[in-house]
Amino acid sequence: MAVSDNVRELEEKVPQRAWLMAFAGWFLPGVGHLLQGKWGRAVLLGGAVWTCFLVGLAMGGHMFSPTPSDQGSSAWLQVPPMIANLGSGVLYISSWLMGVGFSDDPAHAARATYEYGNTFLLIAGLLNYLSMLDAFDISAGRKS
Amino acid sequence: MRHFLVMAAFALLTSVVFGTVAKDTNRERVLYGAKVFAEFMIIGLALGWILYFVPF
Repeated sequence: MAVSDNVRELEEKVPQRAWLMAFAGWFLPGVGHLLQGKWGRAVLLGGAVWTCFLVGLAMGGHMFSPTPSDQGSSAWLQVPPMIANLGSGVLYISSWLMGVGFSDDPAHAARATYEYGNTFLLIAGLLNYLSMLDAFDISAGRKS
Repeated sequence: MRHFLVMAAFALLTSVVFGTVAKDTNRERVLYGAKVFAEFMIIGLALGWILYFVPF
């Protein structure tokens, strides 16, 4: 009983601003910290995510999204890497809208750096999830 | 050489983020980031040499 009261009290203390900072940090990498005046962290975290994403694209990496042509387990296998890619926020969304990094061209996949690019794009999204959680924790007062 | 540079870039970017979000003081963050970077590089090189001798 006491434990559930403590959990409820902890949940109630999270300010709305923390969710906003987390969303901003996810949507535009680095902005979650920038809005809180954490310039150093914004440059380091945002810079790492942006660099990782752009290097991944430059190496010919491919991003994942469920497509109508995929059926059965093939469609489901696209979901976990898509969640990782989606962590890049507006970088993923704008690439999707512009059709950059989503083509299934065999010549593109034959590039020596194709798999490296894939990995960099996946890691950019996952690193931004970490950055987003850090922005949330700072805004919620759990970290300095 | 290019493979090594790509691995080093990956290790650097990842260790920057790990070092920044972890620990409490700047000194601890720098040390942790350097440790993560070194671990990525050492384990990557070790795995590279082990896999070099695998015949398939």
